[in-house]
Amino acid sequence: MSDLINIKGSRDGLRLRLDANAAWSELLSRLDHHLGERRSFFHGASVVIDLGDREVSSAQLAEMLALIRQHGVQATAIDSSERATRMAARAVGLATRPVARYSEPTPMPDAEALLVMRTLRSGQVLRHTGHITLIGDVNPGAEIIAGGSVVVWGRLRGLVHAGALGDSSAIICALELRPTQLRIADLIARPPDQHPINRPEFARVVAGEIIVDGWETFKR
Amino acid sequence: MDGKRLSVSGVIMGRVITVTSGKGGVGKTTTTANLGTALAMRGARVAVVDADIGLRNLDVVMGLENRIVYDLVDVVEGRARLRQALIKDKRLPELCLLPAAQTRDKDAVNAQQMIDLTQQLRAEFDYVLIDSPAGIEAGFRNAIAGADEVIIVTTPEVSAVRDADRIVGLIEAAEKGPASLIINRIKPRLVSRGEMLSVEDVLELLAISLLGIVPEDETIVIATNRGEAAVYDPNSLAGRAYINIAQRLAGEDVPVMAIPDQQGVLDRLLSLFGRRRT
Repeated sequence: MSDLINIKGSRDGLRLRLDANAAWSELLSRLDHHLGERRSFFHGASVVIDLGDREVSSAQLAEMLALIRQHGVQATAIDSSERATRMAARAVGLATRPVARYSEPTPMPDAEALLVMRTLRSGQVLRHTGHITLIGDVNPGAEIIAGGSVVVWGRLRGLVHAGALGDSSAIICALELRPTQLRIADLIARPPDQHPINRPEFARVVAGEIIVDGWETFKR
Repeated sequence: MDGKRLSVSGVIMGRVITVTSGKGGVGKTTTTANLGTALAMRGARVAVVDADIGLRNLDVVMGLENRIVYDLVDVVEGRARLRQALIKDKRLPELCLLPAAQTRDKDAVNAQQMIDLTQQLRAEFDYVLIDSPAGIEAGFRNAIAGADEVIIVTTPEVSAVRDADRIVGLIEAAEKGPASLIINRIKPRLVSRGEMLSVEDVLELLAISLLGIVPEDETIVIATNRGEAAVYDPNSLAGRAYINIAQRLAGEDVPVMAIPDQQGVLDRLLSLFGRRRT
């Protein structure tokens, strides 16, 4: 992971923290690379961008927004402790929030998990850098995209992408695994047309393929 | 009192109910016209509002097309007073239609204007039923902007149910929920052969409360072409289903209708409501 760019998932969504001291052009090229490498995770995402205490002009900001838009990413707000930067953000129509001048970069624990209790309906997307546990159903047309593993305590009928930041050891499990599609890291699987099994199952990558098994065969 | 509520100031205010679906052609307009008529037949004061600006239909279904002088956009833009634009039904003096504009589009109105309009209407009517356009864009958002309750109409088809699910999510996000469901155009024979989604299948996916079911019925087509609501026809099965739904809206406990010559379906429907046939 690039040391100039830090992603963090929280209940409020994704937060992209950009280094405040590196040269702007270098920062942008790293950002371009970073988003390009993690395309399957970021495409369609909305993020809050934290620029720290860097002073950014509205022209620079517009350049950055155009760059992330090319990767299918939309900024919802700009956080900055620098007043000029917040003014530039407001000039391009973004919400801004001041952040403390000295906040230690938060380390991103690998296994940070998100617990959500609701039905995920068609058109709704749940996205998180760590693991996701959903208590509820994932209806057809809904998506879960996680950096880590995904547990669905309910019926999984939509699309789940586990290990979307590249982790092929991620697994997906559900009480009823009848997805429209499963993805783990860069692999994609479609369930067989006939899939009448009604028991808890889990999916994982074995020898470059996504394999689904009954939960009772799971061994750590 | 028939579904009336007190506002903070103590004035009796009507309920604003939006009928929507996501997918087009599932029966929103027919449902709005029949529920509005059925409620008015019970003696309630009812306004039905066509929010499908640019594709107006509700007036045609109700047979009132040739009486339109002013429309919803005229009211919003101040060219007409609300009273001038409201059209009285042919039979029921307590039933009024506010027609959509046909020569404008969805951008002619915004959400705040719809909220203001529903506030005016609810002061004078017990029920304000809004017929939403299909889709999830501005027209839909305007139609739900002033709603207290939302009725989602679907047919037992995978595509319609998928769109209904999307709508439920949007309504939850807009904090207009909980929405209730009408499943329209059920064909019992297809369901019993396993060739159509059952009521249970639909409810399992959408997980919202069932307001009623309406069987496929050709009397709807006949009534629509005549510009008369099917609820007037005592032989119309769908008309009876709409009367039941209107009673439930008014707070009465009415069992879900039995669809004839299909015992299996009937048993399954009753079991959904925890009732056993005797």
